[in-house]
Amino acid sequence: MASTGRGDGLALPKVQCPNRPDAMLVEDYRAGPECGLVVGDRMIDVGSEWRTFTNEKATKDPSRVGDAQNPLLNGGDLTTMISKGTGAASFDEFGNSKYQNRRTMSSSDRAMLNAFKEITTMADRINLPRNITDRTNKLFKQVYEQKSLKGRANDAIASACLYIACRQEGVPRTFKEICAVSRISKKEIGRCFKLILKALETSVDLITTGDFMSRFCSNLGLPKQVQMAATYIARNAVEQDLVPGRSPISVAAAAIYMASQASAEKKTQKEIGDIAGVADVTIRQSYRLIYPRAADLFPPDFKFDTPVDKLPQL
Amino acid sequence: MDEDSALDDPIANVSGPSYLSSLSQPEKDVGKDLDLSFLPEETSGNYASNANVTQDSGVFDACRQEESAETDPKKVAMPGASTFCPMTPVIPVAESSGIIPMLQNIVSTVNLACPLDLKSIALQARNAEYNPKRFDAVIMRILEPRTTALIFSSGKMVCTGAKSEELCHLAARKFARVVQKLGFPAKFLDFKIHNMVGSCDVCFPIRLEGLLLDHQQFSSYVPELFPGLIYRMVKPRIVLMIFVSGKVVLTGARERREIYEAFENIYPILKGFRKQ
Repeated sequence: MASTGRGDGLALPKVQCPNRPDAMLVEDYRAGPECGLVVGDRMIDVGSEWRTFTNEKATKDPSRVGDAQNPLLNGGDLTTMISKGTGAASFDEFGNSKYQNRRTMSSSDRAMLNAFKEITTMADRINLPRNITDRTNKLFKQVYEQKSLKGRANDAIASACLYIACRQEGVPRTFKEICAVSRISKKEIGRCFKLILKALETSVDLITTGDFMSRFCSNLGLPKQVQMAATYIARNAVEQDLVPGRSPISVAAAAIYMASQASAEKKTQKEIGDIAGVADVTIRQSYRLIYPRAADLFPPDFKFDTPVDKLPQL
Repeated sequence: MDEDSALDDPIANVSGPSYLSSLSQPEKDVGKDLDLSFLPEETSGNYASNANVTQDSGVFDACRQEESAETDPKKVAMPGASTFCPMTPVIPVAESSGIIPMLQNIVSTVNLACPLDLKSIALQARNAEYNPKRFDAVIMRILEPRTTALIFSSGKMVCTGAKSEELCHLAARKFARVVQKLGFPAKFLDFKIHNMVGSCDVCFPIRLEGLLLDHQQFSSYVPELFPGLIYRMVKPRIVLMIFVSGKVVLTGARERREIYEAFENIYPILKGFRKQ
């Protein structure tokens, strides 16, 4: 279990190699990679607790050293929590449990911990990777410490942070997708989003049609050819300014509709509208705008199942 | 006298003096039809107190001089221009954009200075709705000028929907008149305009993404939430909603000149982001 750790921890004195103070120190129980000089031998391991897997009788492993420390996000989790007792001795004469008071620990971070739990739950519902969750947690911590949005529901701020994190990681989710996993309304998430951007003095890039193509197309079960064609159509439609003022999601949905209708895998407007979170009349409106130029919007190497002139005209 | 019919038909047969008509008609016509001079002039503002009572026709009239009844040749500058304070230079048409934002809505408040029984007002007055479970105020409407007022039991009133300051003042006075006719000792204190909304068209399409990139600290453009770009101008403190079509809505002004100033500031910026 070799882990590379920097020798310079949080507090003085710094542990350094006496010969080369700048060298990165390696925490390795076996042998170091370079000169092999042992610099320190009593290191406090801040990883998660060590489990001893033995085949002997399944006694409870008594070495409890606690959860992995998460210093980035908590204010130093050095609290002790007393859990509910299991034996008979933990109850006093009236049947109430002794040591009841296990709730008021780390009260300053309680709301933050709750929010982190909520963020993890939301991200889990749409299978977001750990890096987005971590970024969301960092954003939430920044907003929470700033206290400028203190009056707002923590869930709303958490949802907005999740939205921003997805954007910042380059894989934006639509507001409707975030709404689907959150109890907060789109309006409130939108409000918190704008407030957070102002509070943290950051900005996000504008969404483009291509950001959603892979997700929408795979959810619809469209083959890669159709997805590439839809991406191409949407990009050209925006470049040629055929759809001024239309939300990129609507344009993407209309492009998917056109591409799928020209291929063997035809999808209805309703199906696409369900996946994209767009009304089918909206798809119809955007489709009407791109339909006249359909012939030059398709990529040159596209194999038409339905020729361009036979595309549905709504 | 049309005053009693004000209860049945609070509109009366008055063509309220609009900005345009003030250039053509003398104000005395209005004064005859609807005598609003009954309202004791306890305003802190100087609008009505300047003119003497006989001349007062409820026309919003800050710093107007005595010869105001005749059409002042100076004021023939352009329609919709501010005519009250001759000291403020009227924006010349020849310079810059040549487009004047039109005012669409003005929100004002006035204090009638007496507690009101909303139920009796709602029962007696025409065009009044009162649903205490939904909102604790009477919502009253008049047809000329087409405005709506929220009348609260404390005696305070909010007047919305007018298209010019003069009309707003006139409408507020009409509402106060209605309340007075219903038996309450209504006064007309502290009339103040709180918000003015204007709109105009620059007549060319705009690249909102470009505008967002350049003016990031002032702009907010989230097409998922709202199709227009929201530009918060610092001086004057006005919020503009700019659309791809070239239409611009300006709001948050206390005075008409703030709207004009904001538009004159944004016009050259928008010209730089014209779509080719």
